[in-house]
Amino acid sequence: MVTTDHQISTQENRWLARVRRFRSREGAYWVMLAPLLVFVVAVAIYPLLFSFRISFFKYRLTDPNQVQTFVGVDNYLRALQDPTVLTALRVTLIYVAGTVIVELLLGLALALLLASEMRTTRFVRSFLLVPMALPPLVVGLVWKSLYNADFGVIPYYLKQMGVSVGRGPLAEPAWAMPAVILIDVWQWTPLLMIIFLAGLKSLPTEPYEAAYADGATRWSRFIHITLPLLKPTILVALLLRTMQSFKVFDTIYATTGGGPGSTTTVLNFHIYTVGMTFFDMGYAASLANVLLVIIAILSALYIMLLERQQL
Amino acid sequence: MYHKFCRLCHSIVIAILVLSIVGCAAPVAAPSAAPAAEAPAPIAAGLEVCQGQNLVLASMTDQYVAAFRALIPQFEEASGARLTLDELGYVDLYQKLIADFVGQTANYDLMTVDIVWSGEFGQNQYTLPLDDFMARDEAELQLDDILPVAWTLGEWQGAHVAYPLAGYANVLNYRKDVLEEAGIEPPATQEELLAAAQALTDPDAGFYGMALLGAKGPAVAQDYMVWVQQHGGRILDDEGKPALNTPENAEILKFFGELFNYAPPGSADYWWDQRETAFRSGNVAMMEGWSIARAGYENPEISSVVGKVDIAVAPVKAGLEPKFGFGGWGIGINADSTPQEQECAWQFIKWLTSPEIQKEWLRNDGAPIRRSTMTDPEIVAQYPWMPVLLESFEKGDGDYRPRIPQYSIIQDALGTHVNAFIVGQVTAEEALDAAQKQVEDNWQ
Repeated sequence: MVTTDHQISTQENRWLARVRRFRSREGAYWVMLAPLLVFVVAVAIYPLLFSFRISFFKYRLTDPNQVQTFVGVDNYLRALQDPTVLTALRVTLIYVAGTVIVELLLGLALALLLASEMRTTRFVRSFLLVPMALPPLVVGLVWKSLYNADFGVIPYYLKQMGVSVGRGPLAEPAWAMPAVILIDVWQWTPLLMIIFLAGLKSLPTEPYEAAYADGATRWSRFIHITLPLLKPTILVALLLRTMQSFKVFDTIYATTGGGPGSTTTVLNFHIYTVGMTFFDMGYAASLANVLLVIIAILSALYIMLLERQQL
Repeated sequence: MYHKFCRLCHSIVIAILVLSIVGCAAPVAAPSAAPAAEAPAPIAAGLEVCQGQNLVLASMTDQYVAAFRALIPQFEEASGARLTLDELGYVDLYQKLIADFVGQTANYDLMTVDIVWSGEFGQNQYTLPLDDFMARDEAELQLDDILPVAWTLGEWQGAHVAYPLAGYANVLNYRKDVLEEAGIEPPATQEELLAAAQALTDPDAGFYGMALLGAKGPAVAQDYMVWVQQHGGRILDDEGKPALNTPENAEILKFFGELFNYAPPGSADYWWDQRETAFRSGNVAMMEGWSIARAGYENPEISSVVGKVDIAVAPVKAGLEPKFGFGGWGIGINADSTPQEQECAWQFIKWLTSPEIQKEWLRNDGAPIRRSTMTDPEIVAQYPWMPVLLESFEKGDGDYRPRIPQYSIIQDALGTHVNAFIVGQVTAEEALDAAQKQVEDNWQ
């Protein structure tokens, strides 16, 4: 009886020792990380690899036999020669430049305006966050009805003021792009305002005190102190919005459908058409990968700039 | 302290147990108290196979969905099956169905099938060919009563991949008060239509001759194809290859573009709902469109032109043999559903399209497929425009939008480039050349 007890306690000790050893080793970390890794692999890495793989195949999703024919880099070569893709790229760049520049300037201006801690500014700040909370699809639908040439509120007041609205902002080739950019600006400027507000709050006060003592004007304080100190924040905001803006889809889908003609057909909308209307998955995957590479290069550039700033 | 905590835990566990037992016991006791009169109705003859089946129907949110809502409970009562209705918008419906078919998940046993999807669904064997069921039950189906054109709602290469459900005719809706006041007869030809639209347009008063679909995408593509049909043009050549950029089609596109001069300025951005709003709000004299919307113009809740609207067959180009655009929806059965579900789904189709139920279907905003319902005195009394519909159906053309698997490619190309022409970015020839090239590049 004694021997058995002794054996059990020895075994227990060994087991405990093994667990302790395992805990202290890196293996434990892997066990803890495993669920997350499995999740990331399943929802991010696998689809990415799958999309990379099928971009080398001719693969129509609706094919009853699900035939996949290897075509090498044909899909990528086709993308480079496809006039619709080149137009879509140009349109995307205009959209990104328009939204990001306007939002940066407006966001910074709003942040400076609302930086003081007064009851009114606090109220206005929280009120400005409402557009961000809405899904882009809903925002698109609301703006589509606001812009409608015959029943919309915006053309109604424009007409009252004697401005000709023609076919309406979304159907006039010259106005469709500014009109969709305005929707994005309305929705996402508050995000930049928050980022800049956070940046402004974290600035040191000493340089301002010194500048005040030296008699610097408000403007020169802004140009020579605020802006240089705010540079890292501005870069973060720029990176974030550029990447988001490149991926725009919902707003375009809900308002213009890429029209009139191809005036607002951004790359992501074209990828959707190829993938979900033509079901040409191989080609759609190759286009999506082109977009991915563009965004990855931009991200790398910004991160490099950011690191240089911080050194 | 520890003991107190344990006692508290025990009390909570006991309370939960007691509550769950009471909760479970209540529904068990209920049936015994229920009066005998509420016992389930006997299963109707022929519908026994549906007893205990659980089906899901994916339906487009067109007007006829109201008829589904009204009739499905009747079917459930008669058959003992449970039929869930999933109402979806056009794009959502198409994409959810494709995902269901490709993944072979069979989430939907029954689905409404747009006339232009029949080629794609048939070729890819997504829906079950109904020919075996139809041959077996031919005696009950009264197939001769279904108008010949209605069979295009689901026929593909000799097989029936969907059964006729809701037939739509392209008709001319017009404001009889406005035309009478101007002394204009309802247009019988396209030339008269253009002249009337021109004469009735008064931009200063905010009143226009025509309402058209101009928005980029399916809207403008489908409206343009209506005009191609009415002018005797063609989308496909004799070999079934796309022939979008013929000189005839360019002339038709120019005519179509000219009509936009007499349409509300926002027409270049109109989808179906906005075109309907323009007509219902009384800003427009004429509109070509699907017959299913006709009843809505007499509903004061959504229309300010009650009693002022009449319909006529859609005008064709002078000298052409009259043929009218036909469209609408079939109802199909998922090829991946189980044989029992497929059998019950077929019983539902049979029940729904039977002459007796068809009258109920029409009374609840459904659209017709049978001659007997379209000539039924009660139905004609309720919908006096039924004879115009019957005439349109008898000379209907269900193929003016090609019912082929590549239809979406043609629609997308026309949707982009015809819209570019309407807003003045390109000429008619450039638009159709670009559309033809885009179709050829993507043809699979």
